Amino acid sequence: MIMTTMQTDDVLTVKGLKAYYKMGYFGIEREVRAVDDVTMSIRRNEIYGIAGESSSGKTSLIKTFAAAIRPPLQIVGGSMTYRFGDKIIDPYAATKAQVDAIRWKNMSYIMQGSMSVLNPVRKIRRAFRDFALRPMGLNERQFWLAVSQHLERLNLPERVLNSYPHELSGGMRQRVTIALATVCRPQFIIADEPTTALDVVVQKDVLAMIRDVQREIGSSVVFVTHDMSVHANIADRIGIVYAGRLVEEGPTRTLFTAPRHPYTAHLVASLPRIGDLSKKPSLDGRPPNLADPPKGCRFHPRCPMAVAKCATEVPPMETIGPDHRSACWRADEVRPLTTLGKPQEARV
Amino acid sequence: MQNYLFFVAKRAVQLLAVIFFGVSAAFLITHLSPINPVEQAINRITGRSNFSPEAVADMRAALTALYGIEEPLWSKFINFWRRIVVLDLGPSLIAFPTPATTLVMRALPWTVGLLATAVVFTWLIGNILGGLAGYYQNNRVLKGVGIVAMGLQPIPYYIVAFILLIVFGFVWPVLPISGGFAMNVRPGWNWPFIGSVLSHAILPALSLVLVGLGTWFLGMRALVSNIISEDYVTYAELAGVNKRTIVASYVIRNAAVPQLTALAMTLGAIFSGTVITEEVFSYPGLGSLLIAAVNAGDYALVLAVATVAITAVAGAIFIVDLLHPILDPRITVE
Repeated sequence: MIMTTMQTDDVLTVKGLKAYYKMGYFGIEREVRAVDDVTMSIRRNEIYGIAGESSSGKTSLIKTFAAAIRPPLQIVGGSMTYRFGDKIIDPYAATKAQVDAIRWKNMSYIMQGSMSVLNPVRKIRRAFRDFALRPMGLNERQFWLAVSQHLERLNLPERVLNSYPHELSGGMRQRVTIALATVCRPQFIIADEPTTALDVVVQKDVLAMIRDVQREIGSSVVFVTHDMSVHANIADRIGIVYAGRLVEEGPTRTLFTAPRHPYTAHLVASLPRIGDLSKKPSLDGRPPNLADPPKGCRFHPRCPMAVAKCATEVPPMETIGPDHRSACWRADEVRPLTTLGKPQEARV
Repeated sequence: MQNYLFFVAKRAVQLLAVIFFGVSAAFLITHLSPINPVEQAINRITGRSNFSPEAVADMRAALTALYGIEEPLWSKFINFWRRIVVLDLGPSLIAFPTPATTLVMRALPWTVGLLATAVVFTWLIGNILGGLAGYYQNNRVLKGVGIVAMGLQPIPYYIVAFILLIVFGFVWPVLPISGGFAMNVRPGWNWPFIGSVLSHAILPALSLVLVGLGTWFLGMRALVSNIISEDYVTYAELAGVNKRTIVASYVIRNAAVPQLTALAMTLGAIFSGTVITEEVFSYPGLGSLLIAAVNAGDYALVLAVATVAITAVAGAIFIVDLLHPILDPRITVE
């Protein structure tokens, strides 16, 4: 389904998106609501961070963005539309060929666990050829020229092309994967935990690399990690996901200094700061079971501010400030749990 | 490259050692056998008519001297190795004085032609079908193949062979059930002979393929269904990489390495399997020769067959070993 309407600055528009894991064992149907009623949009030329604890549905959400879902995970409702230039496409309404045509050319994906995303028995050179030759539409000579220019821009030695994945270090492999995902200069890049399992020094390099590539291409990056400090460093806007729902969204600085959802307030407060000796407040309870989520606001069993209404009615996502939305009945009363000084300007 | 050559040299030395110990073990086993070739030969000759005891005793003395079985074991062992170096495996005792090598060489093309073809064919078909079945898990045809393979695989080989014999030789007699070629054709490079050889090979080959296919198919399917959930396959799919490239270079390519190891390990079983196959289908190969030799106490011939079998299996494993570092770059050669 390709249409040419709408003129906005959004690359991705998501409305009421629902993706559930649907499983049936012995006649008992079970559904896990990993992505539940998410409405958001990703703008051109921004880094959007998605934060949340483990099993909160972050990865399911961006897998849905990447049109990478497989049964049992399936779309249950809502819509998702990409806009690349004047090409508008809903991957779940388009044919497989149409979706394949935008992959890597317009939209690429940096997968979780980049240690194992490269075929162990093929040289990196073959991976570049398999992944990027078709979308770039160049002849062999121009293609390899473009690849080596791209590697040079990213400060990667050209010899990595002749290596096998196991011959590279973890950080190097991650950087090769980023190079692979950006060589076609896509408008939309999805990065799932690209810095997990890397030590902090390499992490910093990798983040800087993503930042640089994003700036150079002017693409949009959706970035998932549970590490709030990474978000603080790199994201322009952050969306907080809790139990499959988007609970708060706003510019990075606003979210860190003036969170308007109790869950965000706790996430921010849990960040360690040099010289801070105070005990970190922790939340009681565990993340809810997504197969049987609590009624009303999903955070209410653990929320210190919960009132009766929270247990029965789902709070809508409402705009409460410039670019700032929160899904909490008492959003106006939420205050930061710790007073942050000015957030550090240090951006990598 | 230098590493690789060193690896080849090291494996070649190992190969020679394996052949030496294997053949030596075969030598000892055959020479410790209680069957006396002289008595077997005398029984064969005297069975037809009456001989005077003196004549039999003379014959026994003559044969004993001729076969050289009075010598002590160690001197026979040394002589054996001295001759084997120049590829002389001594005369056969049942077909004295035809050299055992001649008999083996006459039987070898039949066995190798049948077994090598059947095994390689089975391995290729089983792995390709298994790989596709593992990747396209919802394909009806491949699911059907899976059910057939699973049903065939546990049936003992000889049962399958006999069922084939009964079905195609008796119930619906369309194929020859024994021998390597028909009596009325002249061996040589002529069409009637080649056609006859092929039609005689169908049943034994089919029995081997049917039994072997299931193992490779099921093994490969299991391997592939693991590999398709590997990150690198998912990632290639997400990148919209050509489907054929994914199946061939990402999925089957990665599963082929353990399957190749398994092939090397089953090569040894081929030569023991040939005994049953050739016996059931009266096929004129090494297996039939071996059984005749064992029954007649012809240890020279048994040894000749064993030596060829050991060398062939060790050689095949050697080749597979050399292929390993090429197929999987993670295997380093030191």
